[in-house]
Amino acid sequence: MSFRKIDIDAYDEDVIQETELVEPDPRDPTQVLADAKQKQADVRSALARNDVTGALSIALDQAPYGPNVDEAKNLTLQTVVSILNSTRSADIPAVLKDLSVENQDTLMKYLYKGMAMPGWGDVSGSVLLIWHEKLTEVAGTGCIVRVMTDRRTV
Amino acid sequence: MILLEAHNVIIQTTLNDKLIKPSSLDVQFVDFDGVRFRMSTADRKTVILLSMHIRCWDELVKYGAMDVLQREYGNLIVSQPEAEYNVSLSIDLEQAPADQEARDAFVRSISMFKRNALAAPFESAFAQQKQLESSGQIGELMAIHYRDEEAIYVQASPDRVTVIFSTVFREETDRIFGKVFLQEFVDARRQPSIQNAPQVLYSSRDPPLEIRDVPGLRNTEDIGYVTFVLFPRHFANPTIVANTISHIQLFRDYLHYHIKCSKAYMHSRMRHRVAEFQKVLNRAKTEVAVTERKTVTGRTMVHR
Amino acid sequence: MSNVLRQYLSAVRSTLTAALTLEDFSSQVVERHNKPEIEVQGSKEVLLNPLIVSRNENERVLIEPSVNSLRMSIRIKQADEIERILCHKFTRFMMQRAESFVVLRRKPVPGYDISFLITNVHSETMLKHKIVDFIIQFMEDVDREISEMKLSLNARARIVAESYLLAFNA
Repeated sequence: MSFRKIDIDAYDEDVIQETELVEPDPRDPTQVLADAKQKQADVRSALARNDVTGALSIALDQAPYGPNVDEAKNLTLQTVVSILNSTRSADIPAVLKDLSVENQDTLMKYLYKGMAMPGWGDVSGSVLLIWHEKLTEVAGTGCIVRVMTDRRTV
Repeated sequence: MILLEAHNVIIQTTLNDKLIKPSSLDVQFVDFDGVRFRMSTADRKTVILLSMHIRCWDELVKYGAMDVLQREYGNLIVSQPEAEYNVSLSIDLEQAPADQEARDAFVRSISMFKRNALAAPFESAFAQQKQLESSGQIGELMAIHYRDEEAIYVQASPDRVTVIFSTVFREETDRIFGKVFLQEFVDARRQPSIQNAPQVLYSSRDPPLEIRDVPGLRNTEDIGYVTFVLFPRHFANPTIVANTISHIQLFRDYLHYHIKCSKAYMHSRMRHRVAEFQKVLNRAKTEVAVTERKTVTGRTMVHR
Repeated sequence: MSNVLRQYLSAVRSTLTAALTLEDFSSQVVERHNKPEIEVQGSKEVLLNPLIVSRNENERVLIEPSVNSLRMSIRIKQADEIERILCHKFTRFMMQRAESFVVLRRKPVPGYDISFLITNVHSETMLKHKIVDFIIQFMEDVDREISEMKLSLNARARIVAESYLLAFNA
């Protein structure tokens, strides 16, 4: 390779690494996956009780982030999408109002993650768009800004 | 103007002008399919020499073009054609018919010079079909390479005459637009009013069965084959024959003309739409107040 | 306008509004340079998470924000060969005029049909919400324009074919 094409900035000792931008998840990857599976079961029972807000809170709480936990991430997305798909659109605003601000932000992250993979699993563009619209009404543009700036990507 | 005309407008208007007021003349012009013409006066202002060059002249002569031209123009044909041209007519304006109606017919017949030369293979195919009706054999496949990469194939059968056009779509847009147009040609026959028209078949890339054995056919994406099946009712009497021939000759030019028209229309639409977008974007720009600044002596400051 | 299209456009609108928080930012790599950070991708800490808003596999918008610039790319619906060529012609026609559309990028980001690049200079000299209006209007009109062009092509083809074949009856 021509020496002109070498990215010399990468060898700068001050260069910032991906890992320095965000604190890694303190939990162990296997632990995270186990948690995600546990949550999936909890969500099912919450949904069986018709408690959508509860189910969403369980799924969004301590969502997996950072590297090495792709399986847990996908599992959680699946869980969230299953909740979103099973909720009637008339109930959405009430459900969203009861969520904590952190969980609203996490939900927004999952909405964008779902839209980035259209056709994956049960992901349906129109359902995500309805939720996105309602969530923006409830949580405001700030919620989207926090998704953009938060390095803890789900 | 949807349909193209079979005659050459330049020949027609020039002749009409010169019939009224003869003057010396030397013009060169072209028609569809790279046909070149030259109209000139040599020694006398009243005798015009009209010469034509067609790419596929040798093929046309083989299929009887000289006979057709002889029939149409008789002694107007010059025995030795002008250099660089295939055939020449010598038109003596003083010999032109005096009667207005006959004169118009005379001018019109000359302006159909190219059409008549190209009519030969079709006329011979129609005649062959009548002979083959009894024998039940299939006539000779006549190929007319009227453009560099495109050709017309005419073949007579006992019950019909098949005309195949091969046409090249140089650009991808042309190819896709061409497909849309040709599909409509195939579909249009479903309409009751058009049931009498010749049957149209269309295939892209693969040549139809009739010409599959012809050497040198290209099998690329950009080529299309259009087959017209003419039944005896399309050449029942001389008037219908003349009409059918003038019409089918121009198919390739007609198709490409309308493809170009569509592209031009799309372009003007895009121009308009983009201008509209520009207006919307301009609404976003904030007004910058331009104030005239003056020096103490009253002179205006100018930005260079 | 269908309901899903409205929700799609409103999601794009809110995401774009959120991303349009740009400020002047000098390059950290080269002294006295000031470049759109999203294009140079030089310093990771000033790039934000890219977001995708999608309606289905064939219609999506990618929004890549950074501290002083934002890149937005649109994938336009193309159902068949005709729509594909019309879309290609249209976007190319616009991108050749990128000079007058200050926020338009000359080339689309791979995988998309058209891209916009909005920098802090644009958001300072132009009204932010009107820039968003422009992009939303573009997305709305481009779909309509392409389907209208397709219809007019089909209509013309039909008339052309019919009048040619009718002339054989004469």
